[in-house]
This record gives sequence, structure tokens and C-alpha cells, in this order.
Amino acid sequence: MSDQRLLFSKSGRACYISHLDLMRTFQRAFLRAGVSIKHTEGFNPHAFVSIALPLAVGYSSGCELLDFVLLDGGSKEEVPEQLNRVLPEGIFVQKCYDGEQPVKKLAWVDWTVALEYDKGVPEGAASALKELLGRDSLVIQKKSKKAKRGFTEVDIIPSVRSFQVTEGEKNVLLRAVLSAQNPGLNPELILTAFRQACPELAPDLVRCHRNEVLDGGGKVFR
Amino acid sequence: MDPKLERILPRVQKPARYTGGEYNAVVKDKSEVELRYALCFPDTYEIGMSNLGIRILYGLINEMPGVWCERAFAPWGDMEEEMRAHQIPLYGLESGDPIRAFDLVGFSLGYEMAYTNVLNMLDLAGIPIRAADRDETMPLIVAGGTCAYNPEPLAPFLDVFVLGEGEDVTREMLELFQTGKREGWSRDAYLRRAVQEIPGLYVPSLYQASYHEDGTLASITHDPIAPDRVVKRVVQNLDKSYFPVKTIIPSTEIVHDRVMLEVFRGCIRGCRFCQAGYAYRPVRARSKDLLVRQGVEACQDSGYQEITLSSLSTSDYRPLTGLCDGLLDYCEPRSISLSLPSLRADNFSMSLMQRLQHVRRSGLTFAPEAGTQRLRDAINKNVTEEDLLTSCKTAFSGGWTAVKLYFMLGLPTETDEDVLGIAELADKVYRCWRENAANRARGVRITVSTSYFVPKPHTPFQWEPQISEEEYRRRVGLLREALRGKKSVVYNWHDPDTSRLEAVFARGDRRVADVIEHAWRNGAKMDSWSEYFSLDRWLAAFEACGVDPNFYANRERSREELFPWSVTSVGVRDQFLWHEREQARKSAVTPDCRKQCTGCGADKLYTEGKCDE
Repeated sequence: MSDQRLLFSKSGRACYISHLDLMRTFQRAFLRAGVSIKHTEGFNPHAFVSIALPLAVGYSSGCELLDFVLLDGGSKEEVPEQLNRVLPEGIFVQKCYDGEQPVKKLAWVDWTVALEYDKGVPEGAASALKELLGRDSLVIQKKSKKAKRGFTEVDIIPSVRSFQVTEGEKNVLLRAVLSAQNPGLNPELILTAFRQACPELAPDLVRCHRNEVLDGGGKVFR
Repeated sequence: MDPKLERILPRVQKPARYTGGEYNAVVKDKSEVELRYALCFPDTYEIGMSNLGIRILYGLINEMPGVWCERAFAPWGDMEEEMRAHQIPLYGLESGDPIRAFDLVGFSLGYEMAYTNVLNMLDLAGIPIRAADRDETMPLIVAGGTCAYNPEPLAPFLDVFVLGEGEDVTREMLELFQTGKREGWSRDAYLRRAVQEIPGLYVPSLYQASYHEDGTLASITHDPIAPDRVVKRVVQNLDKSYFPVKTIIPSTEIVHDRVMLEVFRGCIRGCRFCQAGYAYRPVRARSKDLLVRQGVEACQDSGYQEITLSSLSTSDYRPLTGLCDGLLDYCEPRSISLSLPSLRADNFSMSLMQRLQHVRRSGLTFAPEAGTQRLRDAINKNVTEEDLLTSCKTAFSGGWTAVKLYFMLGLPTETDEDVLGIAELADKVYRCWRENAANRARGVRITVSTSYFVPKPHTPFQWEPQISEEEYRRRVGLLREALRGKKSVVYNWHDPDTSRLEAVFARGDRRVADVIEHAWRNGAKMDSWSEYFSLDRWLAAFEACGVDPNFYANRERSREELFPWSVTSVGVRDQFLWHEREQARKSAVTPDCRKQCTGCGADKLYTEGKCDE
């Protein structure tokens, strides 16, 4: 018995399913699909599933990973189709395979962050964002339950591996490779910094999408 | 997804409630849809999706060719604010289209405190709340559910009330609507045809009420095409009626997040305070084998790990043991738990308990309702102290360590002795635990909860006053004092404010509608949520409309009084209810239907079968 991994995407209406609800959704989907997987031990056994890097509510992703253990008799090749038949709209399993690398080796996430402007992109928005991320240090306040003041200060620049800013007609696209964990950088924090630095350039809507997860060397993590 | 919605969803709590797209949600091709129906529940998604009636109607309407039924729930305050600020009208969860453009909008009315949400949802949809202000472009507004048995407080707002079980009558209404739509009937033409062709429909605009100087009803006159009394509909064969085996599985947690199996309808017991016990007669059961099959299929299709049996009194289901065995054969090897709410203290059995114990052992709840045998006899709750203690003994020796006991304060004929009897009963349960506990070291928790009795229409207590709030508080104080210092007993009592309002709405007439509208215009909504409820707002509304709440809540009615709900019938004879009321005054019990038919009259509705067989 070795651990299996799913690669799935989350889009559309499913973006609003929270991490916990998504775990429940998968636990039920495995049962619906009739795919036998390992259950937790104990008083109230339930299907064991583990989703790497919780995705914030509202974000979309093309590269979510879910670990589980397929019991004897299950076929990895058939799992994606079996699950896709019974998953809610917007969740799509692309692949099922043996997970070889541990999730802790997942180091970077490649994001696309779209800053949308209903009335067209204001002058200087793209360059201001570039300038901001090009600084040597960018300290922002982050909410914290532990800290006495209710927030801590963090420098986000060390968590940015690379970035690229392009300007469209109604949006500015930020493509950035950000630290995945310990600590991970939520692209929302970049937006917080951007709104603080240039409030007049604040976008009407921000869409965050995970393109890919990468290992320490910048190679695709599976 | 709607771009406006996309902007506001990240800012609201639990946005998955507002997106639709769940597993088994029905999406139809609009080009093949002739009729669109918005099935509305006047409370949050989590509550509405837990309602079995909603799931039944959703499934059966969507089985109709050319008809698409979508859902709408009351948004929580943060979402409502965003929707209003961004001009997003109330929409169907499946398509995202505004329900204002649908053909019909139907509300499920399960409890009175949801009334303001009906108005608020209509307003959020951009639909004028009063029927008289709606033109032909507006959908037909329909309501059903238990509260429809006294439709009058909502009469000015709705076009049609559907009385009784919705399975058949909904289909008939929609089929006639399809015909009307094809032939271009006006709303009035449809309503007039419907009321003549389809039994069970109450069209309030066809009725008019006049009042005596003392405020009581003088007469109810109606258009000759409408019946004097609209008789509720019942399903004749539960085994053949639609049951949602394949049903929506929410992607976010709801209140009753499990498979619900409806075991039977009606109740053999005849507890005199219980509206459901009278309104849902006659007793009709589903067959055991069908239920096992439905339970297994529902588990397979949903992936749920829990089944619950639903009825008014599950232990009265004759083949309950066989049903549990059949379900457990499937459930146990798969770690699916089976729970049985609505068990009675008088026939709770060890063998049943052991079956359930296989899977999970939670707390037990019993509802003796009253503290003394005299009062239990008066309300016809035929549970004795011995029954309760025997059941507790079984439970405690079997290892249970938590028991909840439910009571009502303010039942007709209640005295201080009855109130103190609750404390004595709790004490006896405690002593029973000491003598029978499987392991005393684990301790015990006995929870005593009291609610504030609300007299309901179509029950033997429909003539009775609700006790005043001061009196209720005094009785709570009395019981609190009596329970003080009792080890292991926790006492909870229901806040009286909402129960007072419930008493007004439950037996209210059309004049109460103005109060509801006034309160809503001043911000009342989500009244069953303490975050939103404001008694002062309601008192101001009564004051402004010149309506005295005590007239509805605290007044004893004479036998001759004409009731607002006399336009509806649940099939039970008025004489029978009055006789039961007289029996209550004498603390005389009436045998349950299984021991002896009492001739209540509801069996006449069941033309294709025999009550409780």
C-alpha cells in the first residue's frame, strides 16, 4: 500500500468552497464513486484525505494536490474519471498517481494575479507594482492572533522568487513565483502592500490563480 | 458566474451558500424550459437545505418536463447588504437568473418567525410585497407548509396557499399553469380556474373578513367559486410517492448534513398541544423494505456517513427493529452511523439501543413535556414516570451518561405543583443514574429544558390563552429555584419574546399582516436569529398599527368564536377538537389511534387506504 496523489483543478463556482468543505466533499466523492480508500482509525472513522497548501476561498487553481491511500482493488488509472462523475461543478481531477515526493518539499507556487480595472488600467499602475516588488525590502503588517498588537510585521521580498508584470487593456497581470510554505506568501499580501503604497491605483477586482507548484529547484512538483 | 457576484462573494461569510453548483443540483437547458419555478426557503441556506420538504419538491418539480425548479434562500445580512448595494436581485442558485423573471415563486412556511424573511426575500427579488401591487409581469407567489394552516397573517402578500402535502397538488398546479401560459391566461383567470379545479388551494383574494366591535371575527365571505373551507391534501400512497434518493449534496456544511429517511407521516399519539400531531393525520407508513432500499441508495449516491430516520414518533413505526436491522446490515461494515430522533420514553428498548450502540453512542433526549402525571394526562402525553425511569435505567446501565429532558411551561391547567414536578422528575432521573450507572466515575449530565407553550390552530388548545410573559418568568424562576444546587442538572429555558410573537402570528388574522409589514419596513428580518431579533421593534409595530398582541396571544376564546383559520381544514372535526379540550380540563386521556380509533375525521382524507396500516 503506497500513498496516492490526485492532481486536480478548482475553478468557477467551486472557488468558493473552503478548504475544510473541500476535504469533506472529496471524502464523500470517494464514497459516491465507490473508490475504496483508507479510513482514519478511532471512534469516528472517516476517509483519510489530505490536501496540500490550503487555497484561500475565492482563488482558482490548476494544480491542487490531494493525498490519500487507495485500498487493494482500486485502479489509479480509473480514479480521475470515477471521481469526476461525482464531483461538484468546478472541481476536476486530472491525474491520479503514486506520490513520490513529500509535500514538505513543495517550495514555490507560480501565481497569476489579475488586477482588474473596470474603467481601464490607470496610468502608472503596472510600473508602480513593478517598482514595489523590485524594492530590497517591503515590510507589511500581517494579522496575527498570537501577537499582542494583533499583527506582526513581515518583509515579503524574500518570499518572492521572481515576478513579471504585463499590462492589458483592463487589467494588470502579475505573474509571480512566491514561497509556498514556512512561511508561505499569499498574493493578497502583495495587494495589501500595493493598496497601501498607491491607494489611487487600487483595482476593482483581484483574481488569484495558482498555475503551478514547484520544488526548491524551481521544477514542477508532483 | 455573474461578474457583480464575483466581486462581492470574496467579502461575505461562507460564500459557498450563494453559488450553487453542488453535486446533483439540476441545471436544465433554458431553450427546453417552458416554466421556471423558484423554490424559496425563508431562512439561511444551511437551514433550508436541511429541510426534507424542500428536497422532495425540488426533485419532483424538476422531474416534470419543461419545468425548471431552482432554489433561493434568505441571504445573511452581510450578503444582503452587498446585494442591495450592487443591485443584485435575489437569484436562483442554479442559473443565477433573477427570480423576478420566473413564472412562480414558492415559499415553504415552517415557522412563524420566518414571516419577515418572506417579505424581505420578495423585496430583494424586486417583487412588490403585496399581491395587490403586483402586475401581470410578476411571478405568481405561492406558499405552503405547516404555517399555511393559518394563512391569514400573510394573506395580503401571497397569491395562493397550498394546504397539506405538496407532492400531488404542486404537480397539478404547475400543469394547469403550463396550460394557462400556453393559452395566455391572466393571473386572475389562472387563480379562478385553479381554485375550482384543484382541491387544497386557498386564494386569499377571494375571501373577505369582517370584524365585531370587540375585535373578534364576525364573518368570512368569499367569491362563490371558492370553497368555504379549503381541505388539506394528503398523499395516498407513500410507497409510490416521490422520494429524493438522489438529492443535492451541499459543498458546505448544513445543519442536517446526512441522509434523511422519512418513515411515516402522521402520528398515532394525539398529544393535545402538538399541531403536527393533528395537522399531519392520518397515519401512513412507508414499507420497511422500500425504506432500506432508499436508505442504501441514498448513502451510495450521497457519500454521507450518517442516516437519520424522520417522523413525528419513530418508535411507533411498527417494523422499526426490522428497518434498523436492514439498514445496519449495510451501515455497520461501512462505518455509517444510524440515528433515531423522536423516540418515545415509553417504548425505548434495550435491543434497539444495543443496535444503535454498534455505531455511535451519543446523548439521549426524552420529552416528558410536563412534570406531573396529572398534567401529562391533561395534554395526553401518554408517558408515565415509570416509562421514563425505565428508559433511563436502560440507557444508564448501557453506558449513556447524558440525558436531555424537554418540558413546556404554561400548558393549559398547569399549576405550581406541575412546575415543581419537573424538578422532582429530574431528581428521580439523577437517582436512577446513581443506582444504574455502568460507570459512576464518568458522571452524568441531565439537561432540563423548558419552552414557553404557544397554543396552535387546529389543536384542542386553539381556544386557550398563552400565559402572560410575567407568569412565564415567574414559573421559570420557581423551577430554577427548585433545581438550584442539584448536582449534574443543567437548566435551560427558552427566551419568551419570540414565543410571544409566535403566539400572535399562529392565531393571527389579516390585521396582523400590517404589523408584519411595519416591522419589516423598520428592519425586522431573520427573527429566529438572536443577532437580528428586536422585541422593541415589534412592540413599536403593534403600537403603530393599533394592534394589541395580547388579544391574539393571551385571550381565551369561546366555543362560538369564528377563527381566522376556519377557512382551512386539516380533516379533523371541530367537535373532536373541542371534546379533546374538555377531556384535557378533566385530565382525562384519550387512547392512541392504535389502541382505538377516536373518530377524529382525518381518515376520511385517506380514501385509498386505512389509517395506520
